[in-house]
Amino acid sequence: MSDVNISVSKEKWAKANLDTGEAEYIAAPSLTYWQDVRQRLWQNKPAMAGLTFIILLVGAAILGPLVTPHTYYEQDLKLSNIAPILELYEVDGGQETPTYFFMNSGNFKLYETDEHGTLKSILRAKKKDLLKKRHLYEFGADQVYVDFSQLPARLLDGEGNELSTYGTKWNQTYWFGTDSLGRDVLVRQLYGARISLTVAFIATLVNFFIGIFYGGISGYFGGNVDNVMMRIVEVIATIPLTLYVILMMVVLQSGFISIIVAIGTVFWVDMARIVRGQMLTLKNQDYVDAAKTMGAGTWRILTRHLLPNTIGPILVTLTLLIPSAIFIESFMSFIGLGVSVPMASWGTLTSEAVETLRAYPYQLFFPAAAISLTMFAFNFLGDGLRDALDPRLRK
Amino acid sequence: MLAYLAKRIGMMILTLFLIITLTFFLMHAIPGGPFTSEKMLAPEIEAALNAKFGLNDPIWVQYLNYLRGILAFDLGPSFKYPGVRVNDLILDGLPVTAKTGFLALLCVAALGIPLGILAALNQNKWQDTTVMMFATIGVAIPSYVVATVALYIFALKLNWVPTFGLDDWRGYILPVVALSGFWLSFIARLSRSSLLEVLGQDYMVTAKAKGLHPLTVLFKHGLRNALIPIVTVLGPVVANLLTGSFVIEQIFALPGIGRHFVLSISNRDYTTIMGITIFYAAFLMVMILIVDLMYMLLDPRIKLAENSK
Repeated sequence: MSDVNISVSKEKWAKANLDTGEAEYIAAPSLTYWQDVRQRLWQNKPAMAGLTFIILLVGAAILGPLVTPHTYYEQDLKLSNIAPILELYEVDGGQETPTYFFMNSGNFKLYETDEHGTLKSILRAKKKDLLKKRHLYEFGADQVYVDFSQLPARLLDGEGNELSTYGTKWNQTYWFGTDSLGRDVLVRQLYGARISLTVAFIATLVNFFIGIFYGGISGYFGGNVDNVMMRIVEVIATIPLTLYVILMMVVLQSGFISIIVAIGTVFWVDMARIVRGQMLTLKNQDYVDAAKTMGAGTWRILTRHLLPNTIGPILVTLTLLIPSAIFIESFMSFIGLGVSVPMASWGTLTSEAVETLRAYPYQLFFPAAAISLTMFAFNFLGDGLRDALDPRLRK
Repeated sequence: MLAYLAKRIGMMILTLFLIITLTFFLMHAIPGGPFTSEKMLAPEIEAALNAKFGLNDPIWVQYLNYLRGILAFDLGPSFKYPGVRVNDLILDGLPVTAKTGFLALLCVAALGIPLGILAALNQNKWQDTTVMMFATIGVAIPSYVVATVALYIFALKLNWVPTFGLDDWRGYILPVVALSGFWLSFIARLSRSSLLEVLGQDYMVTAKAKGLHPLTVLFKHGLRNALIPIVTVLGPVVANLLTGSFVIEQIFALPGIGRHFVLSISNRDYTTIMGITIFYAAFLMVMILIVDLMYMLLDPRIKLAENSK
């Protein structure tokens, strides 16, 4: 027996004064599934950042190479391995206009620029003293020594005092610097972006035209058709895609077209499996029977009724497959099986940067950042799209 | 169970046969013989070489000879290193690749799963955010970028680890980290989402409600179910660690199979390419079979489904 005395005042039991019509008033307009998806995607900040990055990248890849004065293959060996950020020094040497120059810390050479950082030419040393490890440069009456007896190399004036810098300027001629053959890194990056995006585009195309229909037909017909088609997919899926692409590249000789063909021939397998799985569950739905009863043909049922209903998983798989295609291309190019020289891909740019890693570590920055940011962008967009298409998956 | 195993092994042998046939004819479809190179060989020498390696026989004779060799576990001679057989190359590289690969797999399983669990149990707290941040980074940055950046920072700048070679244990750190990075992050993400899904199930509430110890609930009821999707991706993980080793072994100059493979490609050493491909395929199929068997042990429902077929 409980001795707790619960007392509730009478007023609390009063009937709520609520107009039923008002309670059921729908304030927001009803949204279709796709409007809902768009709204959820729009609110997902990382996904939108990823999408913005991809759009900017596409724009830069298409327009960039058209507007720059440089080309991806044009070499200038005199201006090789120039950094994007230059530390300028100023000497007047008794002349009216001062000379601006900077030192390349990797090869201890001096280059003349103007005061804003536009490159002019390499400077010629007056005397090279390899025993004492210092080079002498003369600017009118002034002398400058490059002393590389101990690293990092220093710049000394005639009395042996260290020169003070004029300022740090961004390289105006080559915004991202030049590589070991004196080619413009920026334009090569943009061509790398073109390659990566083309690969992404091809992967999408292949998945749409082969993967979806292969999986769709296999799943829809079932039985022996399904058995044979899925055994083929199983055989292909036993070996990692990278290995296939490598084998294809060996047969086709390396080059950009070969990469496209190689990725195109085997890259639809995952998509086919996903679509088949979806088909197996969807094909027994009542609306399919309804469509059949009304006399719809196989093709119409497949393209009009079944595939549109699998679009969610298809899109999510696609956003996972695109970065993996981009990765495979750059991976192949990195190990030397991708695009052939002088064409540039982010993979070849990274491997070129690795060769000069000790002297010019900053050369690794741009290709590594480009591929990583692109992968981030596609991953964020993919995650966002998955959450937007299927909110139950959001964790 | 046994019937299932027999069916799987039969399927494996058929697949392997198809792969052998495919690679054999692909390699023979390449224009130019294996001895065509920039250095023109004297025609007599080329003819002698062709005769020695049986390249003058009709293609189906060569094919049958190759199949016969494989039945005896002999992958034939290397065309580029005189006197070296492809078996020797594989045996030479296997210890290195197996060691780094196994360590990477260990990292993936022993770090990835606990990190995922940690994140799931502390959903939306700082542990979760930190783990997920690193996992997102790990999934997005390609392994070769991780490898080169790590090589620059830890080997060249800080001098903590050697730049190449596996002379002591420190040499293993960077290759293993670079090799396992992607899958470690992937598994952490997967175990988190998988465990979160299981934690929301009714049977977890039941287990808790009947007064089981929280750890029993987590391990026997939660993890056992959450691990199923993780075990399914272990097969692909092994496959990708293998292909990942191509680039990792190149960057860190490790004398593994991956390096032999990449070298044989640039050398156009066709028998080695074929041999290593077949070795990889056989190895992967065995791994996938093992994973599937583990999967059946973990989830009795799958075994039932197979028996009722």
